[in-house]
Amino acid sequence: MKILEKKSLLDILKTWAREYHLLCPSKTGPGDIIFDTFNENTFTADYKKPHLPPKSSFLPHTQKIFEVENSEYRMVESHEKKLLFGIRACDMMGIRQSTSFMTRDLVDPYYSRRIDSTLCVVMACRGPQSETCFCTTTRSGPWAESGFELQFFDMGDFFLVESGSERADALLDNSLFSEADEISTKDQLDAWKKSSSESIPEIPQVNQAMSMLKDRTSNEEIWDYFGSKCIICGGCAFVCPTCTCFNVYDHISSPANGSRSRSWDACLYAGFTKEASGHNPRGDQGLRLKRRHEHKLLYFNETDIQDALCGCVGCGRCSDFCPVHIGTLEVVRTIVDGRTAKAGSTDKS
Amino acid sequence: MTNSINEVEKADVFFVIGSNTTAQHPLIGSRLINAIEEGARLILVDPREIQLAEFAELHLRQNIGTDVAVLNGIMNIIIEENLFDKKFVETRTEGFDELKSVVSRYTPRVVEMISGIRAHDLEEAARIYAQADAAMILYAMGITQHTTGTDNVKSCANLAMLTGNMGKPSTGVNPLRGQNNVQGACDMGCLPVVYSGYQKVIDESVKNKFEQAWGVEGLDDTAGLTITDMMDSAQKGDLKFLYVMGENPMMSDPDSTSIEQALSNLDFLVVQDIFLSETAELADVVLPAASFAEKSGTYTNTERRVQFSEKAIEPPGQARADWEIICDICYLSGYEMNYRSPDDILVEINELTPSYAGITPERLKEGFGLQWPCPNVEHPGTPYLHKDQFTKGLGTFFPCEFKPVSEVPDDEYDFLLTTGRIYYHFHTGTMTRRTSILDREAPSPLVEINPADAQRLGIKNDDLVELTSRRGSIRLKAEVTQRVPRRVVFSTFHFHEASVNLLTNPVHDPVAKIPEYKGCAVKIRRCA
Repeated sequence: MKILEKKSLLDILKTWAREYHLLCPSKTGPGDIIFDTFNENTFTADYKKPHLPPKSSFLPHTQKIFEVENSEYRMVESHEKKLLFGIRACDMMGIRQSTSFMTRDLVDPYYSRRIDSTLCVVMACRGPQSETCFCTTTRSGPWAESGFELQFFDMGDFFLVESGSERADALLDNSLFSEADEISTKDQLDAWKKSSSESIPEIPQVNQAMSMLKDRTSNEEIWDYFGSKCIICGGCAFVCPTCTCFNVYDHISSPANGSRSRSWDACLYAGFTKEASGHNPRGDQGLRLKRRHEHKLLYFNETDIQDALCGCVGCGRCSDFCPVHIGTLEVVRTIVDGRTAKAGSTDKS
Repeated sequence: MTNSINEVEKADVFFVIGSNTTAQHPLIGSRLINAIEEGARLILVDPREIQLAEFAELHLRQNIGTDVAVLNGIMNIIIEENLFDKKFVETRTEGFDELKSVVSRYTPRVVEMISGIRAHDLEEAARIYAQADAAMILYAMGITQHTTGTDNVKSCANLAMLTGNMGKPSTGVNPLRGQNNVQGACDMGCLPVVYSGYQKVIDESVKNKFEQAWGVEGLDDTAGLTITDMMDSAQKGDLKFLYVMGENPMMSDPDSTSIEQALSNLDFLVVQDIFLSETAELADVVLPAASFAEKSGTYTNTERRVQFSEKAIEPPGQARADWEIICDICYLSGYEMNYRSPDDILVEINELTPSYAGITPERLKEGFGLQWPCPNVEHPGTPYLHKDQFTKGLGTFFPCEFKPVSEVPDDEYDFLLTTGRIYYHFHTGTMTRRTSILDREAPSPLVEINPADAQRLGIKNDDLVELTSRRGSIRLKAEVTQRVPRRVVFSTFHFHEASVNLLTNPVHDPVAKIPEYKGCAVKIRRCA
């Protein structure tokens, strides 16, 4: 364990920014927090949960994957050395699950090149970052167990800094870091972790809903209800740390010239599963929502990463942003409750 | 909108007429759904069974073009049953007796004959709307795109005034604008009869004010031509030069064949756009414009909120912001426009436009925009209009008589075609059809037909059909669906492969000159 005085944070970031493309929590004009290139004026250490996970560092919203020039094919790759500072533990878990998915059997070269050249610094959460946080349930926070290069614990005047990989050595090679006293640090940190995890309530319905989906005892009609009100924006997938689906498309400028790109996609769109024959195995919006939530709560259970619960990392962003309240929290509660809140009669005149 | 988007969440009753809100304004649609789940009630008046129908307590499926009759019928019931707001009518309005005498002829039985809506349902709808504490009317192009568009709008306003649903939160008459800045374009005088802020060109003092500000003399004080008038004029050979910016009339105006003739008849056509649209292909000169992300400036949305938008990336190639192109053209024409930035232009807007006087560049960059009227820099903006009085003082009831669509189906052209948009595409598809996922979701034109009609004509789902009106013919695939009633077919104007405006009827509302996109007679047959 190392210690970094809070007043030295900016100095250490400036040092890192000379070596890496440093992305960190930054305040936009209207006050939103985004991960953006380090800039002394916009950087902030005072932030909650950024609206978006840092997944676009590895899977950009739109990404050119190869170019063809005079019939010559050229892969477009990025080897830029990046440093992500201040990501939350849930997002660290999101990166690890996504990486596992993108490299499990067929390695996605575009993704893995980016992940291989990126270092991650986690800022452990001292408590819930919003009322939708449920990482203690999904076992993905409020601090990370592994996967990071460094992890910062906010102890008031200073940060305790935990090293998580050999790649961290280069980051720690700086006189601003001092050695922490092992014995007193352990007690301090244990107390910190206890108070932090106790401040984020467990959501029992997550486990209950997972069991019900597994045993097929949930009420199927809830999906019709959710399907009837979904406005198909795809926002839940775009803010999700573990959603990595993409669509591939070509720009052909002449017969021998052009490029292929990919961009974020979502299983909430009908065309995502529609087959060439016109048949769609997920034929209505209710079935598509069911697929999405089963993907998080049923198909990816008992992952081999850090004893995590399932394919959902408990960040709560889908519940924060869904305009019609079809986030994971609402879905699990409805599954367990078995009833829907739909008002209005079904009188069809 | 007379009221604001956030007020949707607090309304007790929604009267949605001619708006497919979840498809065309999904974030407003989501607020409707949330409010309904919290107990608000929805009356939906729409011929098609759209997503909102699922949430409607009453879905009144009127025959196309019968909105005035439906609205008059509802007002008649409200007056007959003494459910109107007497205090509001007495203190805030004029012309009640005239209204009463006109709507009294629209009894529930008469309206049922005209509109197909059951008398009982109409009565229910009238009671639910009139008895609400706060009821919002929301409408869109389903109300305006008729030869009776102005009458339809006046009738909506009559209904809101009759029940006192005006001048307070979560009420009002709320047209949902179909584009992000169509409100702003109108506010800035992109209309043939006004300068910015609806200051009339025929008004001598307004003319003098603008002449002085711009250092010129002899500004034209006569009303100009609407788009539809321009096309007529070009076809006759009177209009010689046309400069089109961000518009694609070859796809979006009715009766495309005559539009093509009109454009071909011009001496000179300039098109300024971000892509080579169907109209740009006919142009003598194409000026490449910057897209929203490639320029700074303001947009004014459907709730009159002016918002600043920062440039995110440089425009590609020779593309430039519209204002820069216009300034240069003016300079080359002999008039120097000395704006260095969109902020400079907004400062002039502040000086010349009373309703925008307090909407300064500095204030817009601080928060989340300001709603006009905002007459000075201390003013917080106006979330809802007509609070204590109308702009003109008393609100006048303008009773209207029902008139059918201009082209009624007959033995040969036996269906009514109604047109609109779908969720995945915007207007003529200039942008969305170049966007991979959107085009994947809706790759080809479809025409919706009721299962009973389809069976009678031997049409199955995905069959290629030919749709023919008196003006043209297109081929596209059929979607057999209960969403449309019998004898009505629905299609969209997004697809150049089967441009539905080859079929539409070039007749206009006499006042607003808006074409009747929502109803023309067609025939349909399965292609062999």
